[in-house]
Amino acid sequence: MELFSEIYSCYYQVLRHLLNSPQGITIQEIHRRICSEGFAESMLAIIPKLENGTWNVFSREGELYLTRLTPPFTMPLSHLQKSYLKALLSDPRIRLFLDQKQLTVLSDMLAPVVPLWLPEQFYYYDQFSDGDPYEDEAYHRHFRILLQAQKRRQYVDIDYNGPRGNRVRHHYVPARLEYSVKNNRFRLIALKKIGHGKMKPEILNISRIQHVRPLEKKLSSSVDLNVLIRHSYYREPLTLHILDRRNALERAMLHFANYEKNTTKINENTYECRIYYNQTMETELLIEVLSFGPMLTVMGNDRFLGLLRARLRKQRDLLSLQ
Amino acid sequence: MSDFHELIKNFSKTREYVRDFFVYGFKSRNEFKDKSPRTYDNERRRLESWLGPYVQKDYASNGSNISLAIDSSLLDTNPLFRVWKTKSFTDNDIVLHFLILDLLRDGKALTVEAITDSLLRQYGTLFDIQTVRRKCNAYEKEGLLQKEKSGKTVVYSLDHTLTLWLRSNGSVLDALDFFQMAAPLGIIADELSEQLDHRNRTFRVKHSFFVHTLEDEILLALLSAMNQKSEVQLKMKGSKSKAVSTVLCVPLQIFVSTRSGRRFLCGYLERNRRFTCFRLDTVKQVLPTKTAAEYDILLEKLDRNRGLIWGVSFQNNGRRHTDTLTMTIQAANPEENYIVDRLKREGRGGAVTQTAPGVYTYETRVFDCNEMLPWLRTFTGRILSLTCSDPFVERLFYQDLQTMYQLYQINGGGPGSRA
Repeated sequence: MELFSEIYSCYYQVLRHLLNSPQGITIQEIHRRICSEGFAESMLAIIPKLENGTWNVFSREGELYLTRLTPPFTMPLSHLQKSYLKALLSDPRIRLFLDQKQLTVLSDMLAPVVPLWLPEQFYYYDQFSDGDPYEDEAYHRHFRILLQAQKRRQYVDIDYNGPRGNRVRHHYVPARLEYSVKNNRFRLIALKKIGHGKMKPEILNISRIQHVRPLEKKLSSSVDLNVLIRHSYYREPLTLHILDRRNALERAMLHFANYEKNTTKINENTYECRIYYNQTMETELLIEVLSFGPMLTVMGNDRFLGLLRARLRKQRDLLSLQ
Repeated sequence: MSDFHELIKNFSKTREYVRDFFVYGFKSRNEFKDKSPRTYDNERRRLESWLGPYVQKDYASNGSNISLAIDSSLLDTNPLFRVWKTKSFTDNDIVLHFLILDLLRDGKALTVEAITDSLLRQYGTLFDIQTVRRKCNAYEKEGLLQKEKSGKTVVYSLDHTLTLWLRSNGSVLDALDFFQMAAPLGIIADELSEQLDHRNRTFRVKHSFFVHTLEDEILLALLSAMNQKSEVQLKMKGSKSKAVSTVLCVPLQIFVSTRSGRRFLCGYLERNRRFTCFRLDTVKQVLPTKTAAEYDILLEKLDRNRGLIWGVSFQNNGRRHTDTLTMTIQAANPEENYIVDRLKREGRGGAVTQTAPGVYTYETRVFDCNEMLPWLRTFTGRILSLTCSDPFVERLFYQDLQTMYQLYQINGGGPGSRA
């Protein structure tokens, strides 16, 4: 079972899409599709092969390239793919997606297949112990309503238990379902109207949702979630200087990999990393920075520096009292 | 540059380049000292070709840098999956792929002779029988075709039942969207979705560390050895020293850090009679050797040790078997109960006891307390005391705190004084 195999290659996928045009396709359209689906230089490799007939999978009729196949072309699943699906069947989160009937059908079809792995072959040693209740019926129901609403861009009425015990109820449009591996928890990135036709992203823990009801209304305008998220960042990023000792550089680069950031080398052993973040990320980022101890130096912004210094000052005071 | 090819034969060399660009994201041409400038230029051109939209160029005093701007919290897919789709192939490979699978689409079973004949009659392409047989056998090995013998006749067929079922069940596609980002070997779910003409627009993963997909080939080989309960020979390359070595071990479990995404093989070294973890990004090759006779016994032994591992280390600085660490913190009731909750959910089985109003003691016994330091520091601002039976850990903790006080000049001046 090969993971790095040509059968999964980008060129095979591009050609499959080209061959699935039953009415024939012009060379201009072929160019356009290779540009949008292939790599930057794929055109230089693919076009001559089609034009000179080395890849003899089209016949020519005037300007048109006609597929020699009978569309739609479908590729059967490989052992690797079946084995992967079989492994997913043992994951408790699969029940969020498939009902019992679907699980039985899929299990039967994959009966002779050996799973690629078993859950107990992986050990997430620093995962938090209070993950979401994947076996809970109400949780399943809420998850599926949100999933459908997200795909239909449909508003939902959510009754939510806030982290401080406050109960809130609002209408939201689910924008994404976000999973945190560290917390083993799903969050809903939801859009909330804030007046003047503007939307604001909010994050809700799915396990805290008490009740959710889909509404008829759909989101009519297009909203770019990433623009909204970037808009929520503080104007000044967090600027860190990383001293490359005790492998701190590599650890920091991995640790902060999921933030929008920019890194430059400023001298032989020191690197500057600018991390973009918003208020909802602030405490987690502060904790992450603290975990590095003196291997990182916070140079700015002033707000973050203030928070860090306040913690250190408090720590110094606590220890001097002992 | 006339010999430049966008596709590649071998993944391992590229894996290191992508990793360097992604993890560090600031290396200029001059800093790739152990490679020739020509190699650097070709690899860089490939990277720009595969990952164009994510490549960022900066100009620094030491030359131009390219880096990959891949921020997992803003993306619906892992862009580095594209690197897995770059395997080169021959003209015969691609043409036979489409023609044979199209020819057999209706489920009929044909001999190699009949397939070769039909390729000429139906598609006007001439192949020799040996080439067609090789491709059919390779596809049977990959699972794309079924091979059946009836007497002396061998026939090949294909079965679309599973593909059609997946295509007609949207909830499976949703599951693939999720698992491509959140489960091991997500590249397989990504390719499967692509094959079913589907794309994730629903799920995102926080704390997803895209670069680790580059180790998936190694992970696959290790899982296969683990499923066969086989001992393996690992070819390793140090992340810093770059020295190459080989190790014989029994692969038992994959340890994963959710905070850095790093994955480790936990294996048993017969020679040293102990468990050790190896970072997957330092493993270059996995060769199964022989069946490990005591595989299940070793797994049980690992299970018994699990409560004493904080991270991935099975030994400490001294000669002690385990060390004990005690931390007392301040957390006002009830408004700071979330701090106590953190101790419980993040403390990996350590005991949490209230010792006075608003004062809690956390105590644990592990092989290597040194690994706990990053987590302990996250409680800065609340720690009343910290003691450890490993004096090195205790000293380093307080020493680091002093360094931070000086660094931020808590008593005035310095980089923190602006706040």
